[in-house]
Amino acid sequence: EDAAEESNVSAELIAQRKRLVDEWNAWRIRCQEEVAEERRARGVRQEPTRRQEEEREEIE
Amino acid sequence: MSQRPILLQGHERSLTQIKFNKEGDLLFSASKDSLVNVWFSHNGERLGTYDGHNGTVWTLDVDSQSRFLVTGSADNEMRLWSVQSGKCLFVWEFPTAVKRVAFSENDEQIVCITEQRMGHQGAIRVFNINREGDGTNQSREPESMFHPVGSKATVCAFPYMPGLILTGHESGKVALFDAKSGEEVASNERAHMDVVTDLQLSVDRSYFITSSKDKTARIHDAKTLTVLKTFSTETPLNSACLTPNTPYVLLGGGQEAMNVTTTSLRQGKFETRFWHKIFEEEVGRVKGHFGPLNTIAVHPAGTAYASGGEDGFVRVHHFDDSYFRAKPYGDIEILN
Repeated sequence: EDAAEESNVSAELIAQRKRLVDEWNAWRIRCQEEVAEERRARGVRQEPTRRQEEEREEIE
Repeated sequence: MSQRPILLQGHERSLTQIKFNKEGDLLFSASKDSLVNVWFSHNGERLGTYDGHNGTVWTLDVDSQSRFLVTGSADNEMRLWSVQSGKCLFVWEFPTAVKRVAFSENDEQIVCITEQRMGHQGAIRVFNINREGDGTNQSREPESMFHPVGSKATVCAFPYMPGLILTGHESGKVALFDAKSGEEVASNERAHMDVVTDLQLSVDRSYFITSSKDKTARIHDAKTLTVLKTFSTETPLNSACLTPNTPYVLLGGGQEAMNVTTTSLRQGKFETRFWHKIFEEEVGRVKGHFGPLNTIAVHPAGTAYASGGEDGFVRVHHFDDSYFRAKPYGDIEILN
């Protein structure tokens, strides 16, 4: 019975932690989109991606 | 948690602020001894000293190119330095002490807080930095200046939103100001219950962590100022930082003990505290300093951290593999 209760508690705890992580990650994705949009709007140079760097080298 | 730390000995008084450059190869330190030092972070060797202030250096920041260093001091001056040559490039003079400085993300502006004292209001100024030429041709006048009403500002930074200044205050308030008009556009009056002692941004500047004398550190959304996470300790906190590649935050502070610990001991009992960023649980502590920790900084690659103490020491800890392997909560992906 104790063992059952313990595993129940830990299952609850694991579910709670998963909720917290999912909530945080969802918020981070929204934030990252807003930050990227803000930078595009201002025409600020984005950190060049590897692919862009390779393309630039080819042009040169 | 980490191998033996490197002790940086070269300051004669308390550390006030330390910072890594963007690459993380250099560590800058400001102290009450009126000196600013730069060290190689991998071996603790002192690379140089920026000598010129005549009072406690309260604050510093280095630009993203490791070209310019800015410092603020109790001698009422803000100085711009060449990182490489150690030469002072420009001096701004104010009626009161400079308590906090910070570069903008594009290195083109500096925000600074000057202290409220004897008929002078506390002020926040934003300077445009001329990056052409050798750096000595700077404008004496700020691009903008304003006086936050109510509680005085203690810390400041540029969030990712353009035209806004993020501040932390003596009352515990956190606020956003319009950099031009000085209008307070958002605030959280009860972000903390006591002085905000540190404010450090996430890499993309969309969230930040604050520490406070109210014994807590908190993570806030930079746009809404909503408190997202709270880390409650049993000691006043002086510094808090985010790590880029592990889900932890690092907190430091402590109350000065009445009887001074004997210096014959190898390490003191003042600790850096590691907390899980998402679960708000303490995961570890690293002892070290003989007095309160005044300032903590994390290497931008997350491979090391440094702490500066009231005891005058800087301690650099390089994490070993076990630190990165340890996943006390299992293998979960947490976005930075």
